[in-house]
Amino acid sequence: MVVTAKAADGKELGKVERHYHPQATNCRDFKMKYGAQWKVANLRDTSLQPGQAKKETIEFELPEGVRNADVTIELFYEASNPDNKYPIHTVTRKVSLDK
Amino acid sequence: MRFLKLILVLLFIAVPLVASADKAKTIDELAKMYDSSSCKGCHEDIYTQWEKSHHARPLMGVKGGLMLSPLAAKKGTDGATAFSEDDPKKMKIKNYPCFKCHLPQAITSAEDSVAVELTEALLAKDKVKIAKLQITCIVCHNTKAIIHKRELGEPEKGVIYSTKDMGAHPGGKIKKSAIFKDSIYCGQCHGLGPNLEFDQPFQCANLYGSYLHSYVSGGGTQTCQDCHMQKGDHLIAPNWNDDKGTSELLAKAISLDVQTLGYEWLRKAKTYVPKVVVSTKITTTAGHRIPDG
Repeated sequence: MVVTAKAADGKELGKVERHYHPQATNCRDFKMKYGAQWKVANLRDTSLQPGQAKKETIEFELPEGVRNADVTIELFYEASNPDNKYPIHTVTRKVSLDK
Repeated sequence: MRFLKLILVLLFIAVPLVASADKAKTIDELAKMYDSSSCKGCHEDIYTQWEKSHHARPLMGVKGGLMLSPLAAKKGTDGATAFSEDDPKKMKIKNYPCFKCHLPQAITSAEDSVAVELTEALLAKDKVKIAKLQITCIVCHNTKAIIHKRELGEPEKGVIYSTKDMGAHPGGKIKKSAIFKDSIYCGQCHGLGPNLEFDQPFQCANLYGSYLHSYVSGGGTQTCQDCHMQKGDHLIAPNWNDDKGTSELLAKAISLDVQTLGYEWLRKAKTYVPKVVVSTKITTTAGHRIPDG
């Protein structure tokens, strides 16, 4: 998931990524491995679990003078390599500090 | 006595030959042995679904990749694995533990010469040859159809196993498999976690483990087949080569709720910090972790 905040002029104000997947090593060192041939056991698992919601709270501090932000949340799946993406949901929101 | 000796010698030579004659020596022989194209005549829709599935290209990975290439790489070279050898001619069936699931018929029905030929094909990136090796109808409807082998014996040759006994059938008699509708059937390959039975453990799919220990333990009752083989669909989605279909499937299973807030945070007296807060909540209806396989 990538959450991006941009100013009205398109300038990026902040970008945060969250990665949800099991992470394995070969149990001989602490380097994560890709590929079944090298993996031996999961070391950490941040994947989406059945019946459990994955919640995040992400904060962007706006620079002086910026009162509005366009926020985009992109949720996608990567298979095989990070360049092979399958978009799942894209949500955009305009956020203002003025009533 | 000489005649008897001669018979014994001939038997000694002939028996191994007969035994090896039961196994495929080449990729073509193995492909022919498990060829299921005759099923298409009567089950065209199912066959067409299967042709688009990953079961039809178990050694090809996603979008034409060759997932066994690291095993074929020369031992000691960059990208090689613990299963690699320094000469393709040394490769044996046991050098490809991935066959456990990606080509189970190789374990039961192939000579080591098939491993040598596959290694050479992988090094040559001969996708046409490698694509001949598939998880065909026979693999699922025979080879993997029985798990209670001590009680029920090995799958019978020439028998097609399915959800119910149906008697005579053009391709062979149809018998009921006790597990065909159960998740454990899929769990034979879409696995529990580390494969510790090998002399060098490795980890592929955790999916069935996740199903058992997260979904079932949470009260889930649906099977793999309930979701992935609705109406008998043999595509058994996702098909990762179909971008649009995969995105739609994922969007159906995964929900994203977003809440935003803009305000000025009072850090200390007279020091306001303009801030945007984004709260996300992702939920899934899948009966297993995402991602897994």
